[in-house]
Amino acid sequence: MRRIGIVERGDWQAQAAECGFRFHTIDGARYWDERAYYAFSMAQIEHDLEDPSVEVHQMAMGLVDEIVESDALMQRLAIPEAFRDWIAESWRKREPHLYGRLDFAYDGNGPAKLYELNYDTPTSLFEAAFFQWQWLEDQRASGRLPRDADQFNSIHEALVDRFAELASSLPPPLLFAAVRESEEDQGTIAYLRDCASQAGLHGAAIALEDIGLSEDGRYTDLDNTVIGSLFKLYPLEDLFNDDFGRALPKSGLRLIEPPWKAVLSNKGLLPLLWERHRGHPNLLAAEFDTGGDLPAGWVRKPLHSREGANIELHLADGQRLHSDGPYAGPSIRQAAHPLPAFDGHYPMVGSWIVGDHACGIGIREDDSPITRDSARFVPHAIVEADAPATFYA
Amino acid sequence: MKRSKTTALLLMGTAPLLFTACQRTAPVEVQDGLYTSVETCAQAVGDTATCRIAFEQAKLQSADTAPQYSSRAACEAEFPAEECVEQKTSTGHSFIGPLMAGFFLSQMMGGNRAGLAQQTPQASPAFRDNRQGWLRPNGAPGAGRAGMAPVSATPDRAVTANRGGFGRSANGRSTGG
Repeated sequence: MRRIGIVERGDWQAQAAECGFRFHTIDGARYWDERAYYAFSMAQIEHDLEDPSVEVHQMAMGLVDEIVESDALMQRLAIPEAFRDWIAESWRKREPHLYGRLDFAYDGNGPAKLYELNYDTPTSLFEAAFFQWQWLEDQRASGRLPRDADQFNSIHEALVDRFAELASSLPPPLLFAAVRESEEDQGTIAYLRDCASQAGLHGAAIALEDIGLSEDGRYTDLDNTVIGSLFKLYPLEDLFNDDFGRALPKSGLRLIEPPWKAVLSNKGLLPLLWERHRGHPNLLAAEFDTGGDLPAGWVRKPLHSREGANIELHLADGQRLHSDGPYAGPSIRQAAHPLPAFDGHYPMVGSWIVGDHACGIGIREDDSPITRDSARFVPHAIVEADAPATFYA
Repeated sequence: MKRSKTTALLLMGTAPLLFTACQRTAPVEVQDGLYTSVETCAQAVGDTATCRIAFEQAKLQSADTAPQYSSRAACEAEFPAEECVEQKTSTGHSFIGPLMAGFFLSQMMGGNRAGLAQQTPQASPAFRDNRQGWLRPNGAPGAGRAGMAPVSATPDRAVTANRGGFGRSANGRSTGG
């Protein structure tokens, strides 16, 4: 794994505009950054990332049965009592899920270490599945990358296929919702709607705030039609806390991701995974946090923190770091395993699971060891180890 | 090969329609509803006066816009027998045709945008045919169903009591991760 400088495509901004990729620049700062790429060998991809992703996914799925049948475990994961039966029922019915992203620290040597599972509202999807793919095509065509350069990225195909599998089981109408003001989230649901429609599954978009609740406890669109299925790019635990949340269990609404994803998109899963697979090469030691001063060599993360918020690091060398944010509540501790640094950049590998298949990666790098919402998306390629390090063409 | 053979976009790229987040002015929407009573209408739109006016307007147009048949049998072939009655248009022409069974209300909704006056609702009668479909006049009255357009709205849909109960926990932040 190497970080290699490469010439940007001259027209990438025009291309982004053309395909509706608006959030390539956020508040004037680059989010899409193709001034460099990460080069992997095929062995690194298949042995160190793809296979472990499948394994971790299976370990996580293997825990769901146990968690949903245990009130004590639901309690540990801070899942509100009012939703526990509904969550368990959605698992017993095996309501289908769409996707998830596993975040790994990986430096090209030795096992990738799982930081967390984003199994409810993973983003950075369009850029990984589509724009990254296009980048590789263009750079191969221009001769800046070898003609046989490859990429671990069949995410787009996997999404279209998965939507085709879901089509018959989702009660109509299907809607896609995200909060109105988030351009990134709106872009992500636009892409998912696109993938669904390529599979013949059509769904309209609605701002999450526009969803209505009828007197008989069903959710409606702006036209008062009862919503059958809802893809919501919005955390389940936030739905639970919202005013309309308490109507969910009796509403008959089919959710994507389904309610049982609440037990996987929860950092409490990390200590549970560690308890059952202690010493697994891709897992970091983890435990539920009991509060108090964080010992050296540990990281504290709230159960539901996102975008690297409210993370506290106490590194083995005594150095302390923390990030601000709006999250509170119970936390876990995870053994500190800092991200590798490549020329002062700290990449985190997001490994995509669609359905139950590992189908690609996207890399976000930050200037700090905590990957925040300021992280930039940097493309990757699979190239032969002896390929030249810089291409100008 | 580890990557998708091809990728393509169907909907994105015609960007302005889909990406309204950065040019937020609430879109003007047309909200259509099909109602079988003033009460169900009032529950749905939250405005009894509007519904009553719409109902009266629809009733006034009813005889002038109903499908016209020369015989009861011809009418009953397409509409429920009990609704096929002799009627007179406002100009005095007699015909056999179905009675209005509901009314269709089309409103321009300005979101909650300040300064945009609520537009006058458009109302028309609606007729229920033998196949449980609903029809309304499409502006060109004529014999039989020729001047009718199907209504795609479902009658008296779930009445939305509230909106805006989702999304507050986001607190303005991006909610993906």
